[in-house]
Amino acid sequence: MGDEHTAIETRPPRRTRRISVTAILDEFFFVYAGLAAIWLAWLLLTESFKLGWLGIAFFLVFWVMLAYLALPRLHRIFTAIYVPDYFIGRTRTSDGLLGDPVNLAVRGSDAQLREAMARAGWTLADPVTMGSAWKIVTSTIARRSYDRAPVSPLLLFGRVQDMAYQQEVAGNPAKRHHVRFWRTPDDWLLPGGTRVDWLAAGTFDRAVGFSLFTLQITHKIDADIDVERDHVVATVMAANDAATVETLVDFSAGYHSRNGGGDSIQTDGDLPILDLRKLHAIGDGS
Amino acid sequence: MTNAPDKRYATEPAVSLFEADAPTARPKQRPSALTIGALLSVLRAIGGVSVIVGLITGWPQLQNELELEGVEPATVLKVIVGLQVAWIVLLLIVSWLMWRGSNAARLLVMSLTCVSITASAISYFASGAEITVHTTLLTLALDILMLLALSDRDVRAWTRARKPLP
Repeated sequence: MGDEHTAIETRPPRRTRRISVTAILDEFFFVYAGLAAIWLAWLLLTESFKLGWLGIAFFLVFWVMLAYLALPRLHRIFTAIYVPDYFIGRTRTSDGLLGDPVNLAVRGSDAQLREAMARAGWTLADPVTMGSAWKIVTSTIARRSYDRAPVSPLLLFGRVQDMAYQQEVAGNPAKRHHVRFWRTPDDWLLPGGTRVDWLAAGTFDRAVGFSLFTLQITHKIDADIDVERDHVVATVMAANDAATVETLVDFSAGYHSRNGGGDSIQTDGDLPILDLRKLHAIGDGS
Repeated sequence: MTNAPDKRYATEPAVSLFEADAPTARPKQRPSALTIGALLSVLRAIGGVSVIVGLITGWPQLQNELELEGVEPATVLKVIVGLQVAWIVLLLIVSWLMWRGSNAARLLVMSLTCVSITASAISYFASGAEITVHTTLLTLALDILMLLALSDRDVRAWTRARKPLP
């Protein structure tokens, strides 16, 4: 009797949210605008062939229209349908495409993580604003150093990264080590049941190029992402005596794939967990 | 297992896209796409002024082409210009309301733009009308960019969220 009662009580609550006319209209306009954008890109392309030298400028307008408006909108429409929205060890780009893999986890507070990264010689990235975006464009073209260059937003748990750290290579903003961190939701466990406080995705930007999926200008990453993962772990371990590391071997199957910009990635599937809980950090209770 | 209720479906049902949003407070920062959408809408209104200028300067010729009979040509011009002015004022008011965060104004502008784009598409695909820089490409581009900006997910979330708590 008692068991039956519990079974009824633990049944998920009935969903009571109602269908909204505004939401239906919004979804319709969202898709309609995507189709219209493709048509406009086509009109711009055909026009660019008729205008002689001015056509080159029109071709540029066509590319901006296609790469920054039409294709991202199409990706958002389709990825909302077919890309799973639960944790599969991959981040997502703002267009919904699968982004860099999650390849590192951390236990410790916000202050401990910041302290450990700072000691290990990592620089906190600036947030993406019009000013910082312009600065990364100009410094890349001029090959001028910009060690706090912003990193593009990637999403995990439906949120943009909480912080990102980087190490510029040879004063050239086109090449850099970088790693993004997301705080895990309270009481959230990794597949398999391990508790961690932060998840991270570390990759090495090797050059600037075109994204395969949206044709936007973006950083291209090195395919062997395990090297970058091990670099993050090695620098943190070398600079912080109190840090320890354990590795979840074969956390995911080893695989070859592509990230959000269409770059090849390959990994052995191991997930190192950095334990920073014994670290003394300023502004932290421990 | 005791945590069975926490399990969920692997894919969301499609109907969840059409559900009313959970009530949330509106973020302080207005999405830039909304500002761009409102600005494009104002540009469209300014385009209306150039139509009036074109009407008035080209009226003597247009008057002959229209072959008006039984009505005073000056009255016709006044009515057309009056309607156009009313349209511009409406567009400006709606742009302002939209920028302030009115969801109804946003849906109205998107509906009107959608009708305008569809009309262009029908004349282009069915009647073979040419859309070039010299004809209606600029107007059409404004409409499509406006629709793209106003249907953006951030704009949608911001205008549909509740006003910030005092």
